[in-house]
Amino acid sequence: MIKNKTGRIFEIIFYPLVSILIFLIIWDVGVKNSELSVVMPGPWEVVSKFIQSFAVPIGKYTMVYHILYSLMRVVPAYIVGSLAGIILGILMGWYPVINRILRPLYELIRPIPPIAWIPISIVWFGIGEGSKWFLIFLAAFVPITLNAYAGATTVDETLIKCSKMLGASDGQVFKTVVLPYSVPHIFTGLQVGLSTSWATVVAAEMIRSTEGVGWIIISSMDTNNVVQSLVGIMGIGVVGFILAIVMRKIEEVLCRWNRIET
Amino acid sequence: MEQDRNLDIILKCENVSKKFQTKHRTKEVIGNINLEVRKNEFVVLFGPGQCGKTTMLNILSGLEKTTTGKVFLNDREVVEPGPDRGVVFQSISLYPWLTVMGNVEYGPKVRGINKKVRKEKAEYYIELVGLKGFENSYPNQISGGMKQRVGIARAYCNEPDVLFMDEPFSALDAQTRYLMQEEIMRIWEKEKRTVIFVTNNIEEALYLADRIILFTNCPTQIKKEYVIDLPRPRDYTSDDFLKLREEITENMAHTL
Repeated sequence: MIKNKTGRIFEIIFYPLVSILIFLIIWDVGVKNSELSVVMPGPWEVVSKFIQSFAVPIGKYTMVYHILYSLMRVVPAYIVGSLAGIILGILMGWYPVINRILRPLYELIRPIPPIAWIPISIVWFGIGEGSKWFLIFLAAFVPITLNAYAGATTVDETLIKCSKMLGASDGQVFKTVVLPYSVPHIFTGLQVGLSTSWATVVAAEMIRSTEGVGWIIISSMDTNNVVQSLVGIMGIGVVGFILAIVMRKIEEVLCRWNRIET
Repeated sequence: MEQDRNLDIILKCENVSKKFQTKHRTKEVIGNINLEVRKNEFVVLFGPGQCGKTTMLNILSGLEKTTTGKVFLNDREVVEPGPDRGVVFQSISLYPWLTVMGNVEYGPKVRGINKKVRKEKAEYYIELVGLKGFENSYPNQISGGMKQRVGIARAYCNEPDVLFMDEPFSALDAQTRYLMQEEIMRIWEKEKRTVIFVTNNIEEALYLADRIILFTNCPTQIKKEYVIDLPRPRDYTSDDFLKLREEITENMAHTL
C-alpha cells in the first residue's frame, strides 16, 4: 500500500492521540459522575501532576532523574540478559546436544516469575544495584532465549541445503542462514523482554531505593498518595511505550526484508 | 545441434538404489538405476507424480546418500553437497534477507571469490535471466516467475558442472510457466550447461529435453529413454511433438 506523506503522518499521530483523548474523557466522566472520585483522582489532575513532576521533585528528584535512574537499572541488565538469551537460544536451537543438556534447566527456571527471586537476590547481591540488575536480567533472559530458540529451530531446511550446494561450510551456513533467519524471532523476544524488564523495575525498586519510577509508586503506598501512584504508573507507561517504539524502529531497519509489502 | 553434443560423459550413475527405513518396514524408492549424462546435455527425468524423481535428483546432487551404488561426476564420486553441482529447487527458496544481487552472488561469496569478480559475474547472470534493474530488490518485492529467474541465476553464477532443476516451474501459473520454459531454453542455448531437469509435465519435458528418461512408479526404475531431436525452438502443436507426446503419455500410463 502506498500512502502519501501527510496521510501517513495523520495516521501515526492523529489516531493514537484520539484514542488516548477518548480514554481520558471516559476516565473524567466516570470519576465525576460516580463515587469513584473518593478513591480515584480525575485524569487532568494526574496529567498535570505528571507534567509538573518534570520540574517539581517527587522525593529527592524530578521525573527525568527518576526515569534515568530506572533506565540505568534496566538497560545494562537488559543488554546482558538479551545477549545471554540470544546466544543460549540459538545454540539450543541449532545444536540438539546443547538443547538436550540445557533445556531441562531452562524449563525449570522459565516459569519462575522474576519477583520470586527477590529474597535470594538480596542474599546474593545485597540491597544495592546488583540485586536489581539480577532481577531485570532474568526478566529479559527468559523470553529472549525462548524466541531465539524458536528462530533457530524453524530455519527453512531448503535454505540450508541450498547453501551447502552453493559451497558454504557449516560455519558459513550458521552465519549466513541460521543467524539472519532468527533475527525476526529474536526481535520478538527483544520486544517481550524489554517490556518485562521495564515492568520488573518496579519490583526491583521495591528492594530498597530512594529513586526511580518504581520507587515513586512504592513510596506512594507509604503516604497513601493515589495521585503520586498514578503519576508513577504514567511514567512507566510512557517510557515503556517510547522504548517499544525505539525497538520497533531498530527492527524495521534491520529486518527491512521481512517487512516489505509485496 | 550435433557438434554441440560433446560425447564426454560427465555424470555417471551406477546401480543406484535407495531404500527408506521406517519403523515397521523398508520402502524401496529407487531400484537399480544406471544412467550416463553427456556434457551439455539437457536431460529430463520424467515420471508419474509420486515416483522417486526428487529423491533421484537429491542423490545425484549429493544431498542424499545412496543405499547401494555410486554416482560419479567428472570421475569423482559424489558423497556430499558441493559447489560443482547447482540446484534450482521447486520451492524457489531464495534468501529473503538478501537482495537479488545478494542471492546471486551468494555462491561465489562463500567460496571466497573477490568482490569485484563476483559482482561482475552476478551482474552478467542477472542480465542473462532478464532481471537487469532488479539487483537491489528483495525477493518478496518480485513475482514468482522473477523469483525463479533469480534461483536460476544463483545456480548459474556458481558455474557448476551440472545443474539440477527440481520441477522449478511447478508453482507458477500456466502462462508464466510457458514463458519460463522458453526462457530456460534461451538461457541454456546461450550458456550451455549440463542440465538434469525433473518434471511431471509432458509438454515441458518435450519442449526442453535432448533426452527424456521415463521413470516407472515406486520403486523408480528407468522404463524407457527417448532421444528427442526435434529442432528448437519447438512447437507445442507440431505433428512430431504431438506424436511423441501421445507415445510417451501412453507409455507412462502403463507404468501406473
